[in-house]
Amino acid sequence: MDSLGHLLQGFAAALSWYYLAYALAGCVLGTLIGVLPGLGPAAGTAILIPLTFNLDATGAIIMLSAIYYGAMYGGTITSVLINVPGEAASVVTCIDGHAMARQGRAGSALGIAAIGSFVGGVLATVALVVVAMPLATLALKFGPAEFFALMVAGLCLVVGLAGKNIVAALLMTVIGLLFAMIGLDPVRGAPRFTFGVEELYDGIGFVPVVMGLFGVAELLLAAEKRQARMIEAELKNWMPTRQEMRDCVGPIGRGTVVGFVLGLIPGVGAIVPTFMAYVIEKRVSKTPERFGKGAIEGVASAETANNAYANAAMVPLLALGIPSSPTIAVLMGAFIINGITPGPFLFQEQPALVWTVIASFFVGNALLLILNLPLVGLWAKLLKIPFSYMCTGVLIFCVVGAYGLKQSLFDVWVMLGFGIIGYLLRKLDFPIAPAILALILGPMMEKSLRTTLEISGGSFAIFLDRPVALALLTIPVIVIAFLLFKPRSLDKLRESDVD
Amino acid sequence: MLIRRRTLLAASAATAIASPAMAQNYPRRAVQLIVAFPAGGSTDVGARILAGLAEKDFGQPITVVNKGGAGGQIGFTEIARARPDGYTLGFLNLPGMNTITLDPERKAVFTIDSFIPIVNQVLDPGFIWVKGDSPYKTLAELTDAAKKNPGKISACTTGILSDDHLAILMVQEATGAEFRIVHFDGGAQQLTGVLGGHVDVAFDNVGSVFKRVGTEIRGLAVTDVVRSKFLPQVPCTKELGLITVISSSTRGVGAPKGTPADICKAVETAFLKAINSTEMKEKMDAVGLALKPMVGAEYAKYYADLQAQAKKYTEWALKMR
Amino acid sequence: MRQGRLIATGAMLAFCLFALWQSLLLSLTDRLGPGPGFFPFWLALIGAALAVGLLITTFREPADPADAETRIMPHGAGGKRWLAIVALLAALTMVMEFTGFRIAMLVFNAALVIAMGERRWWIIAVFAVLGSYGVYYVFTTWLDVLLPVGQIGF
Repeated sequence: MDSLGHLLQGFAAALSWYYLAYALAGCVLGTLIGVLPGLGPAAGTAILIPLTFNLDATGAIIMLSAIYYGAMYGGTITSVLINVPGEAASVVTCIDGHAMARQGRAGSALGIAAIGSFVGGVLATVALVVVAMPLATLALKFGPAEFFALMVAGLCLVVGLAGKNIVAALLMTVIGLLFAMIGLDPVRGAPRFTFGVEELYDGIGFVPVVMGLFGVAELLLAAEKRQARMIEAELKNWMPTRQEMRDCVGPIGRGTVVGFVLGLIPGVGAIVPTFMAYVIEKRVSKTPERFGKGAIEGVASAETANNAYANAAMVPLLALGIPSSPTIAVLMGAFIINGITPGPFLFQEQPALVWTVIASFFVGNALLLILNLPLVGLWAKLLKIPFSYMCTGVLIFCVVGAYGLKQSLFDVWVMLGFGIIGYLLRKLDFPIAPAILALILGPMMEKSLRTTLEISGGSFAIFLDRPVALALLTIPVIVIAFLLFKPRSLDKLRESDVD
Repeated sequence: MLIRRRTLLAASAATAIASPAMAQNYPRRAVQLIVAFPAGGSTDVGARILAGLAEKDFGQPITVVNKGGAGGQIGFTEIARARPDGYTLGFLNLPGMNTITLDPERKAVFTIDSFIPIVNQVLDPGFIWVKGDSPYKTLAELTDAAKKNPGKISACTTGILSDDHLAILMVQEATGAEFRIVHFDGGAQQLTGVLGGHVDVAFDNVGSVFKRVGTEIRGLAVTDVVRSKFLPQVPCTKELGLITVISSSTRGVGAPKGTPADICKAVETAFLKAINSTEMKEKMDAVGLALKPMVGAEYAKYYADLQAQAKKYTEWALKMR
Repeated sequence: MRQGRLIATGAMLAFCLFALWQSLLLSLTDRLGPGPGFFPFWLALIGAALAVGLLITTFREPADPADAETRIMPHGAGGKRWLAIVALLAALTMVMEFTGFRIAMLVFNAALVIAMGERRWWIIAVFAVLGSYGVYYVFTTWLDVLLPVGQIGF
């Protein structure tokens, strides 16, 4: 009850005009960062930190959190409209979000993304209020061994994305993993597959690769077809229809749970929850064949999971002082500069401040929804711009984005190369998403396995001692084996379903 | 090919630019300050505070550019390769930078002579800590246990060949203890690892965790000749009799080799003034980073001495793998 | 289409075999289990096996008459646009280091808009200037994102 009292006081503070203005400014700036190329959420948040120097601690944190939420949402817009995910969290949104836009349903896609984000964010914050401390401590038990198992499970879920051709999906996964091996070995620091090129020491950049595989490839396909617009379909509606809303209740609910649970574990990153939520929806769905071709459930689940993750990631930060992603690390740095060190003692030392901040999470999520729903129509109208202009605009966007993150022209070459590869793969109907998931998860998987072995002194028996890790490791292996060796009977099953 | 062309152009540009006329009206435009670690880390926090304060006297904007990755190697390479015209400066992290040049497997294209150390900002001493409910109450208890059961007690670093890694080797050398060394990527993973009970002891730096010392974590020692002002209750290694266990993360501003001396001097003046200001002190106290201003011969000597110390332990570490 | 898939799978097989050879140059084991070459080696091996499997299944597939109509490489008038985008992007990346972002982008934007069929000079000019000098100003001044400044000072 004490918490509730504090929370109410927090709301009173957060809802003052003064703080509302900062939250609003933060949401707008954050969304812009998410939309603009060349600024990842981490770097974007870092450059906005000086803006908060002249505020009091509460105001500063309210504004920074709003920037963070805004940045997480901004990537959705470019994903849906031009098939360019600004960061890892939006890759999954591209799959069905852009497909919807091609059918003239960009408004529905953006609308459901805003609504799903709001619901996921608010529910995750409620859970944060109720169970922050015990859950955060429990999540610490998730060590490198469990982490490795989670990464393996995540990669195995890739087959869930595959349509008919599971072998092709697995091959793309392995190719993605091989690309992830480029760079310095995570344990010894020895260069691998770098051929003396210094730019490769840090590995192939994720942003130039996705900008190429998604954005540039999309342009090349459209250019070849001599389209007059990026998207030729007429815009159907600005908002999700009633039926669409009804279809998304389940995905939003499940997306919230997946995003929240995985958000508690430090270091997981946003892509795993979005992917898992998406694959779960595809498995649950009665019509899985619509996924990848504009299923609104796909957008709803991924975006909800993304925002639930973003809010849940605040739990380890506030409860334990552990930043679980680079963006949160920047946020934590800003908190510290403003004289607030997140951690267990924060709840005891400055309860008023903590609860105001938590209240402002609710306010931030609500503002983001109010801000974005009316803008959906405006964003969708961008698709009416003639192709020649759009093409030039998108290419400027991609060049700045690929170059800006590391100030490296090498990355622009990478983007161009992967643009051509992406074009060919799309034409030949090879699945691209598994390769991207693998590119992100590969290094985390290898590093966590080798850390596990450092802890166990080289013994693999550690996995047998840890039930969670063992379960995470065995279940997906069984599923894959089943899918690989029984594809015919499954196909028959599906066909009979359609009949 | 790209690289070779860039080096050539940089070299020709350097000869054209290194005329006294250029130095007199330095700086004429914004200066880049390269930080070889991602935004949000200790180096980055210190660099952003420094850039913000030094800008005022400098007369031109100072832009912090994060070039993280490969334990700093990417960023250091960038600094070493930059045009030596004073418009690209960088943070030099010791001893992380030294160990990269000393490990032949890393194939670094720079040596420590590729940089001119200009002014030091921070000396963040090493800090050995365990979880609050750990059975080890003192450093001696820990090292005795690690001596009796060699290889059973796990100790984690913030990265391979980081200052923390060297500190573990120093403790092993001085006490005969033998730890099972686990390399994490940075402080957040370390915190998760030790608080979650996956690893027994963390070799870390004062700045990242000093506020947590108390119930949550127990400080065993600060690897310095004096106690840290942020942790007056924690003994330093010198008073514990471990005089060879002196390790820290030192960070200062440097320029690529070939930068004209008068430009370096201008940078030194502006940055040193910022480092010595009260505003700097207040901000750095809040984040637990101890200032250690060093310039000229003092900094150059420190820079050279550290190379010798790092060489010894890096060679040892390389032999162990 | 089938032929294209065969070629692409063959290329992936070659890539995996190359990675296999490269990973053998790294040590497979370390003091504690897997070394730097461990993951690349096994991945490349699995990848090669999958690629061979895919080659065989693709080869066995009956030729689809509809496939013959979809050409893999760009062609015709659309192909010219395709080529214009790729060539201009490559040229842009090549010269940017020397000319700097602004000049390279100015020419790139103008050329691209023209190649995509725009003929009104004022629209071309607006794109060229806003997309180069405008973008440069916004990103370097307001957003702290550095864009290339050329060797000739722009």
